[in-house]
Amino acid sequence: MNKNSLVYTVVFSFLTAFFFVFLLSMADTLTKEKTEDNARKTFYKAVLKSSGIDFRSDDDSVPVFKKYFSSYKDGDDVLRTEVDGKEIVVKVFRGSGLWGTITGVIAFSSDLERIAGFEIISHNETPGLGGRIDEDWFKEQFDWEKISPSGITVRKGSGSYDSDTENSEVEGITGASLTSKSVETIINDNIRIMKGEGSNG
Amino acid sequence: MADRPSVIMKKNLWNNNPIFIQILGICSTLAVTNNLVNTLIMTVGLVFVTGFTNLSVSLLKELIPDRVRMIIQTLIIAFYVIIVDIVLRAYLPAISRSLGPYVGLIITNCIIMGRAEGFARSNPPVISLWDGITSGIGYMWVLVMIAFFRELLGSGSLFGIKILPDNFTYWTIMVMPPSAFFLLGIVIWICKSLILKKEGGK
Repeated sequence: MNKNSLVYTVVFSFLTAFFFVFLLSMADTLTKEKTEDNARKTFYKAVLKSSGIDFRSDDDSVPVFKKYFSSYKDGDDVLRTEVDGKEIVVKVFRGSGLWGTITGVIAFSSDLERIAGFEIISHNETPGLGGRIDEDWFKEQFDWEKISPSGITVRKGSGSYDSDTENSEVEGITGASLTSKSVETIINDNIRIMKGEGSNG
Repeated sequence: MADRPSVIMKKNLWNNNPIFIQILGICSTLAVTNNLVNTLIMTVGLVFVTGFTNLSVSLLKELIPDRVRMIIQTLIIAFYVIIVDIVLRAYLPAISRSLGPYVGLIITNCIIMGRAEGFARSNPPVISLWDGITSGIGYMWVLVMIAFFRELLGSGSLFGIKILPDNFTYWTIMVMPPSAFFLLGIVIWICKSLILKKEGGK
C-alpha cells in the first residue's frame, strides 16, 4: 500500500492518535484515586497549617482534620473549629493571580480582628518569582497579623521579612509585584466577604 | 551510517551538546534552574521523554506517512510528557505543584523534536533510544550545574538544605531569570573556548 496515499495517511493518523490517547486515559484512570487522595490531603494539610494545628505526617493529617473539623462536608467554604481555646474560622478562597487561579485557605480569629494563617493549595505563578508566594517565609508573615479597617497591605518586596504583626503589612515578593498585589486583593476580598457574612448572620 | 554508542555519547554530552552548542531548550534553562530539586526532576523527565520518543519514532519510522510526520512526532512527545505529568501528580504531588506548568512545557522543548527529526527518523530503535537518553543527559548536566550556582547564591541552600550562614546576603538576581542568561553565557563561553582550544591544538 502506498504510504503517502490520502487514505493511508488518514487511517494511520487516526489509529495512532486513538492508540496513544487510549493508553493515556488508562494511565489517568489507574492513578485517579491516588491523585484525588493527594488533593484531599493537600486541602486538609492547608486547613490544619493555617489554623496552627500540628500533625505528624501526610497520613496523620486525615484523622487530625476529622477530629478538629468533624462537621466538614465536601464543598464547604467556611470551616470553624477551636484551637487551644481560641475560635478559628477558616475560609476557602479562589482568586485570580497573574497567570491563573490561586486557591487556598485563610484562617481568621473568630472576631475577624486578626488573620491566623494563610496557606496556598494551588497556583500557576512563575516558578521562582510569583511562585514564591508558596514559600513558608512569605506565608508565615500572615500569622496573627492584625486586620486594619482597610485590610492587609502587601508591600513592594525588598527582600526582607516583616515580623511586625501589628502593622497590618507584610513584605511582598521581590520581582513579582503583580502576584503580590493579587494576593493582597484576594485576602482583602475575603476579609470583606467574611465581615459581610458576620453582620448578616 | 550511525556512529558508535560511545561517539554518540561524547557528541551529546560535549562536542554537540544541546545547550551550549545547539542552543536548544533555552526557555526551560532560564525558568527552572533556580532550584536544584525542580531542575533535577524536570531534566529526569526530559531524559525519559527524549529517550522514549526517539525509540517510538524509530520503531514507527517505516509506517509514518511523510505528510503528517511532524504531527505524529508531536503526538508521541505529548503522550510521554503527559505520562510524566500523571506520575508526578500521583506519586510526587509536592514536586508537581512546585513545577506547575513546566512539566507540560517539556512538550515544547526543541531538543526532543530535534532528536526525533534529526536522528530517530533515520536510525534503528536501540541506538535512537541511546541517542535520546544521552541528549537528555547532556541537557541535564548543564542545567544542574547552573542550578547549583543559582540556588547556592540565590537562596543559600542546595536541594533545599541551608548551606550558607544566615548572615550571607542572598543574591536576589540569582533566583530571577536574567541570572540564568549570565550564567548560561559564561557556560557557553567556557565550554566553547575549551572545545576551540582542543581543536586548535590538533
